[in-house]
Amino acid sequence: MNRRKIKTSIKAYIFLAPFLILFIAMVVYPIFLGAKLSLYGMRGARTWYVGLDNYIRIFQDPKFWSSFKIPLFLLLIQVPLMLFIATIFAILFERMSKRGGAIYRFIYYLPYTIPGIVSGIVWSYIFSDSMSPFRPLLDLLGYSGLKIMTRQNLPLLLLFIILWAFTGYTAFIIYSSLLSIPRELTEAAQLDGASFWQTAFKIKIPLLKDVILTLFIFNAIGSIQVFNEPWMLQNLVVLPNNYTPAMYIYNSAFSSGRFTYAAAMGIILAIITFLISLYFLKTASRQMLN
Amino acid sequence: MKKILILTLLFLLVSFGAAAADYYPEYSGEPTTITMWAWTSNENYSIDEFEKVYPNIKVKWENISDYYNKAQTALSAGTGLPDVIMIEYSYAPQFMSIGAFQPINNWLDKDTFVELYGEDALGWCAMDDNIYGTPQDSGAMALFYRKDIFDKYNLTVPTNREDYVSEIKKLKKAAPELDFVRPPIGYSMWWIGQIWQAGGKLFDYKDGNWYIDFTNPTAEEVFDFWGKLLDEGTIDLQMYWNPDWYNSLNNGRTAVVELGSWFAEWLKYNATDSEGKWRIALPAQWNKGKQHNSMIGGSGFYVSTQSANPEAAALFVNWLNSHPDSLTQLHNKSNLPVLVSNRFGEVIDQVSGPDKFFGGQNIGQKLWESHKLVNTTFITLPIMSNVDESLSSLLQDYADGKIEKFSDILPMWQESVIGTMQEFGYNNLIIDQLPE
Repeated sequence: MNRRKIKTSIKAYIFLAPFLILFIAMVVYPIFLGAKLSLYGMRGARTWYVGLDNYIRIFQDPKFWSSFKIPLFLLLIQVPLMLFIATIFAILFERMSKRGGAIYRFIYYLPYTIPGIVSGIVWSYIFSDSMSPFRPLLDLLGYSGLKIMTRQNLPLLLLFIILWAFTGYTAFIIYSSLLSIPRELTEAAQLDGASFWQTAFKIKIPLLKDVILTLFIFNAIGSIQVFNEPWMLQNLVVLPNNYTPAMYIYNSAFSSGRFTYAAAMGIILAIITFLISLYFLKTASRQMLN
Repeated sequence: MKKILILTLLFLLVSFGAAAADYYPEYSGEPTTITMWAWTSNENYSIDEFEKVYPNIKVKWENISDYYNKAQTALSAGTGLPDVIMIEYSYAPQFMSIGAFQPINNWLDKDTFVELYGEDALGWCAMDDNIYGTPQDSGAMALFYRKDIFDKYNLTVPTNREDYVSEIKKLKKAAPELDFVRPPIGYSMWWIGQIWQAGGKLFDYKDGNWYIDFTNPTAEEVFDFWGKLLDEGTIDLQMYWNPDWYNSLNNGRTAVVELGSWFAEWLKYNATDSEGKWRIALPAQWNKGKQHNSMIGGSGFYVSTQSANPEAAALFVNWLNSHPDSLTQLHNKSNLPVLVSNRFGEVIDQVSGPDKFFGGQNIGQKLWESHKLVNTTFITLPIMSNVDESLSSLLQDYADGKIEKFSDILPMWQESVIGTMQEFGYNNLIIDQLPE
């Protein structure tokens, strides 16, 4: 009996090994290394132990904390907006015939397949002053001098780009979960006289709560770590080096050579992300119990 | 008489032989292979020539770009740097001060260096009398202009800044949709280059101290000059190196660009639609009677602190950047219009000629002429990425209307730079003063 148990767990570990080895080498080990690095001071090739000095400095560094403005904006506006639009899309996808809807699902999913860096380059052309396809339209409307890409407009443009990139993908995931809802439930509601949207909002969406919560957490993490899109748009407009936390960490490490300080900020960012996820998970599970 | 003549000849021959040998000493070590990072194209032609002369040293060249981050990381990690690394002059002191290079004075002494590359080049390759590398291409500023626009609107190429302003206004009146010139948002090397070209500087290093004075009269004169044109709306700022800028160079919206000599090659490959329309002139001077020029960009080859064979690396960087055989290859094959070494003068007539892209102009001679006008120098601060970042941010604020008066930028820029220097632990600062 015992022997068999050991045998099965060995088998299990063999199957898990490829993941575990990569996970340890690429995630766990670097986190430990980063944590160790964060306890040192550094100038060029010289490092010296400073204990928690880097962490103390981060708490007093207004540039670090003000870099959370953009992630907060995305977290509070973009993520809920995207989940809402994606849910509507998903419900519409489900309403279409499976074959007829496929082309729409495909088209809406496409932006997700384009790497952020590549789409960033394309967007930088779209928002450029002289080559923007919106230019003729703006000129026609009498806004010929209007600059599309300014630091002021950037949060909205980011919101737009991220919505473009991720809404279709999110809708696709919600759509897949919609398919798993037993037909009897919706049929029963319809027999009782519920309209299509009533069924959608009263029956389907409450059943999707888990999926939407998971998507919310994933996107919240994504917005806290936002990097690619603003990074690429720096071609068109100068951004402060602390435009987002991830950009501040990158710039501190690579353009200023403060690797250890950046490592400490990375650890703090990871903790913040973890706490936010934990908070949402906890509140959600409490609500579900109630 | 005959004896004297023979003796003189003999003396000349010996001294010439000795001098030549001094430039390029023999390699005393074991056969070795050294590595090099450089972003220029076709360095292999020079390497081939070098390996013929020094058969015991093989050079492995990695043609990569954007490796400053990689170099910082490798330096911090203590391993991974190549023996020889190409760095822009303005960023070299940053790498010197964090210990990325090792001195090569043993194989290239100061006198030989000055003889081969000139006194000014010490500012770009040495610190505290330690020579870390040799300069390759020149970033001497030149005035690139569109002859078609100049002809159409009857403009003349300005030789001084007063005429420059009147030509700007002339074009503005005749064709308001065109830009005579647009200074960059950011790109501190350009702005520092303007001040340098006026004979000034913002900072320097001497005897263990960093000097910072952004509000000296020359710097203020330059910022007031551009500030007046910008404040009154005669010209606008523009981000460089982005789609809008490339477009404006290709389609003839911009009449003048002031950049380093390397820009000649850049234009050829990136503004192909405008072939035959560009010409090159010397930059417009700030002071009548005084001729100065500056460098925007240009790069040197430095021996890294992680090199296990600094002798081989030192012999290589010196030969690469000063031997006429190598300079010829660098000019012809690596698209570097002007090399810093004085010995480039030995080959310039041979390698330069009419250039089709520039409507048949002999741009090699023109750029060499502009290089020879570089007659002042200084050492850049060891935090150039921050100097750059800070100016970019201020210029963007100005473009967004958050800063009203352009000349207010200088003191704000200085304040931010001093803050960063102190933050990085450079307490040896002398502020509001420059060394003699």
